[in-house]
Amino acid sequence: MPKLIIDDIAVEVADGSTVLEAAQSVDIPIPHFCWHPALGKAGACRVCAVKMLEGPVKGIQMSCMLPAQEGMVVSTTDPEAVAMRRNVIEWLMINHPHDCPVCDEGGECQLQDFTIAGGHGIRRYTGKKRTHVNQYIGPDIEHEMNRCIQCYRCVRFYQEYAGGCDFGVMGSAGRVYYGRFQDGRLESPFSGNLVDICPTGVFTDKRARFRARYWDYDMAPSICPHCSLGCNITPVARYRELLKIVARRNDPVNGWFICDRGRFANDEVNERQRPRSPEVDGRETTYDEALEALLLRVGEAEELYGPGSMAIVGSSRLALEAAALLPQLAQSSAAGALCYFTLQAEGDRTLAAYELLSAGKSASLNDVRESDCIVILDCDPLQDAPMMALALRQAWRSGAGVYLVGGGIELPCEFTRVATLDAVPLAEAKRSVIIYGTKGYNGVTTVASWLTGIAPNFTKGGLPGNLKLACLFPGPNSFAAALLSREHGAVSLEEALADGGIKGIIAVEADIPEQLLEGVRFVAVLDWRKTATVQAAQIVIPTTAWVEMDGTYINNEGRSQRFKKVMNPGVPVKGEGPPLHPPHIHRSVAPGGEARPAWQVVAGIIEGLGGERITEPLSGQWEYLRELDAESRGVMINDL
Amino acid sequence: MRILSDIAAIMTGMWITWKHMFRRPVTVQYPEEKRQPYPRYRARIVLTRDPDGGERCVACQLCSAACPVDCITMQSAEGDNGRRFAEWFRINFSRCIFCGLCAEACPTLAIQMTPDFEICKRDVMDLIYEKEELLIDGCGKSPDYNFYRHAGIGVTQPRGTGVEEMPPVDVRGLMP
Ligand code: SF4
Ligand code: SF4
Ligand code: SF4
Ligand code: SF4
Repeated sequence: MPKLIIDDIAVEVADGSTVLEAAQSVDIPIPHFCWHPALGKAGACRVCAVKMLEGPVKGIQMSCMLPAQEGMVVSTTDPEAVAMRRNVIEWLMINHPHDCPVCDEGGECQLQDFTIAGGHGIRRYTGKKRTHVNQYIGPDIEHEMNRCIQCYRCVRFYQEYAGGCDFGVMGSAGRVYYGRFQDGRLESPFSGNLVDICPTGVFTDKRARFRARYWDYDMAPSICPHCSLGCNITPVARYRELLKIVARRNDPVNGWFICDRGRFANDEVNERQRPRSPEVDGRETTYDEALEALLLRVGEAEELYGPGSMAIVGSSRLALEAAALLPQLAQSSAAGALCYFTLQAEGDRTLAAYELLSAGKSASLNDVRESDCIVILDCDPLQDAPMMALALRQAWRSGAGVYLVGGGIELPCEFTRVATLDAVPLAEAKRSVIIYGTKGYNGVTTVASWLTGIAPNFTKGGLPGNLKLACLFPGPNSFAAALLSREHGAVSLEEALADGGIKGIIAVEADIPEQLLEGVRFVAVLDWRKTATVQAAQIVIPTTAWVEMDGTYINNEGRSQRFKKVMNPGVPVKGEGPPLHPPHIHRSVAPGGEARPAWQVVAGIIEGLGGERITEPLSGQWEYLRELDAESRGVMINDL
Repeated sequence: MRILSDIAAIMTGMWITWKHMFRRPVTVQYPEEKRQPYPRYRARIVLTRDPDGGERCVACQLCSAACPVDCITMQSAEGDNGRRFAEWFRINFSRCIFCGLCAEACPTLAIQMTPDFEICKRDVMDLIYEKEELLIDGCGKSPDYNFYRHAGIGVTQPRGTGVEEMPPVDVRGLMP
C-alpha cells in the first residue's frame, strides 16, 4: 500500500495502482485518452503528464504508466507539466477536423473536454491536415477516421478484451488507420462498445446519428431487459424517441461494457404501432372504459363458468412491481390459476434452476471474470447472455481454464471440451464457476445430480471450496418470476389450461403461444409490445416500456436492481404532424401517452374488483426494495 | 443669495427650451416615418444560406444551448446528400429577448440578427416562427463563409479536397 503525495494531498492506494489512478481516487483529474480502467495502460497519447518532484523517479512522467510508489511527490499543476499537456493536445489537434457542429460526439466528447481543460484554443499550425477514407462498418456504427487521435483504445478493446479479429490497426507513421481490412459489418457481438470507448467521434451510433445533443438528452440509470444478466445501461431519449443506449458502469455486474443486443435495441420502444391506446374488441377507447369493460367481463366469466375460470399470467419480462401484485389480483378476481410461465417445461426448468441457485452460491459476472476455472454446461453464453461470454474471456485472459461439457457452441476464447463434469479439475481450482442454462437443455438436472454426488448436503451450504453457480435464465426478471411462483404455488399456464376449466385470461406482459389460447373465451392483455397475444386479445390496455417507468428486475444471480424512468410515453415526435414541424397545439398528454406502468393498471383492476387501493407496489417482503438506489450495485435477494 | 441662483437656473433651462423651439425636431413620426437602424441592430432572427446556396444551419443545437430563454427548438436530421440539416427549426419570438447570443454561438454563421424590429402579432402563436419563415435566400452578413468547405469531413466536396486538407492517405503504402 504505497503512500504518496499528489498536489499536497496525501494518498494511499492499493499495490499496482498507477499515479493516474491514485490522483483520481482523490478527485484530481488528469487528462488521459489511451488509459482506460478496463483496458489498462498503453502510453500512446502522452497527455497525462505530471511532474515528479520527489521520490524514486523525477521530472515529467506519464502518470498512467507509472506505478504509484512509496514517497512519491507529484505535481499536476507544475508549469512544466501543464505546458507539456497543452502542447500534446495541440499536436493531437493538428489533424483533427473542424467539424464538431456536425459530429454526434460533440457535447459528450473527451477530446473536446480535455482540449479545453488543457488550455489549447487557437490553431497555430498552418500546414494541411491529413485525411482518411471512411469505411462502412455495418448498420449500427458510423466510422469517421479523420477524427482519430491514435489512442489505440478501440483496437485494444476489440482484439484483446473482446477477442474480435476483423478490426485492427493498419499503416505506419502519420497514417495509422483503425478499421477493417475492407468494408463490411463488424463481426464482434460487442462492437457497439467502440462507440463508448473511443474518446472522440470516430465511432458513433448510427441510430442516434444527427438526432440530438448531450445537453438535451433525457437520461436515467436503467437496466438492460434483453437477457437475465441485468447489465447496467443509460438509455438516451429525446422527443419521446429512444435514441441510443450506452453502457453504465457497475463493477460486480457488467463492468464498463454491454453487448450489441442490449445496445442496438431501440426499435421496439419507438415502434409507432405498438399498443398506444386502450382497445376493447378492436375499438379504441379510454383507459377508464377499457378497465370497466375488463371488470364486466371478469364478472361475466364468473357468472357463466363459475369461480376459478380466470387465469392471471405474468412473465419473465414483467418488472417486479407488477409481478408482486399478481397474487393479489388472482385473489380478488377469484382466479383459478396464477401463472408466471406459459409453458410447463420452461416453468419447471426455471424453478429448478432457481432452487439450485438459492441453495448454492450464485456467481456475479465479476466472480466469473475473476474465476480460475469455468465450466459451461448446456448453454450458449454468446446467444443466451453475451456479456457472460465476455466475462469468461476475461477470466481466460488471466489464465483460467475454460471447460465446455459437450459441445456445439462457439466461445470468444480457447476452451477444452470435456465429456462430463467429472472430467473438469474442479478440485484444484480456487474460484470456480459452473455456468448452466434453462433453455431446452438439461443442464440444471445434471448440475444438481453432480452436486449431490460430490456434496450430498450442498443444499445446506455444503458446496466444495469456492464453487459458485451461474445460471442463464430466459428473461430479465426470471429470478423474481421463479421466486414468486414458488412462494404462491403458481403453475404454468399450460398446466392450468389442461383441464379446460380456464375460460378467461388476463395476461400481463406475457407471450402466450396461439395454440394455448384455443379453448379460451376471453383474453385481456396488458402489454407495450405488439405481440401475437395482443393481436388475439379482446381487451388491450397499453403499459409503459421499461424506459418509460421506474421498476425493478432481479437478475440471474438474484441481484435486484432499480431502473428509472427515462422518457414520457407517447408516439415519437419524429414523423408526427405536418412534415416540416410538429403541430402548434397545446396538450397535456402526448399522443399515445396514456400508457401506464403495468403495476398501476393491475392496481386499478384490483381496486375495481373491490380490493384495496394500492399506491405502493412493493410492500410486505419487498418493502426494503422501495429505497433501492438505481446507481447502487443492487441488492442480493439471498443476503436478506 | 439662494433666490438669485434659483432664478439663474430656471432661466438657463428656459433658454435651452427656447433654443430648441427653432431647431429641426429629432423625433421620428413612427409609423408614418421610418428610420433604418444600423446593420448590427439586433432584431428579428433569420437563417441564412452559404454562398453556394445550401442551408447553412447544420442543426448543431449550439444556438438553442446558448439561448438564455430557451426559445429555439429544432430537430436535426441527415439529408440525402449527407448534410446535417434542421428537419424543423422554430424560434418562439414571444420569448426571444434579442440578446444575440445565438448568433454569437453559431459556428456556421447561419443564424443572424437583422434590423427588422417590427414583429407584432395579434395571436401569440403567430410569433412562433418555423424554418420556412426564418430561412432567407442570401448569405446575410458574411457572404464568403461555407462551413462545409472547412469542416474537414468531405460533405460538399470529395474527402481531402477541402480547404487546408491533404488528399486521403494510402493506408497500405509503405513509404515513410
Ligand atoms: S478510433 Fe478512437 S479509440 Fe481508436 S485510436 Fe482513434 S481515437 Fe482512439
Ligand atoms: S448481456 Fe444481456 S443484459 Fe447485458 S447488455 Fe447484453 S442482452 Fe443486455
Ligand atoms: S448554432 Fe447555427 S448551425 Fe447550429 S443549430 Fe443554431 S443556427 Fe444551426
Ligand atoms: S437572441 Fe437571445 S433570446 Fe433570442 S433566440 Fe437568440 S439567444 Fe435566444
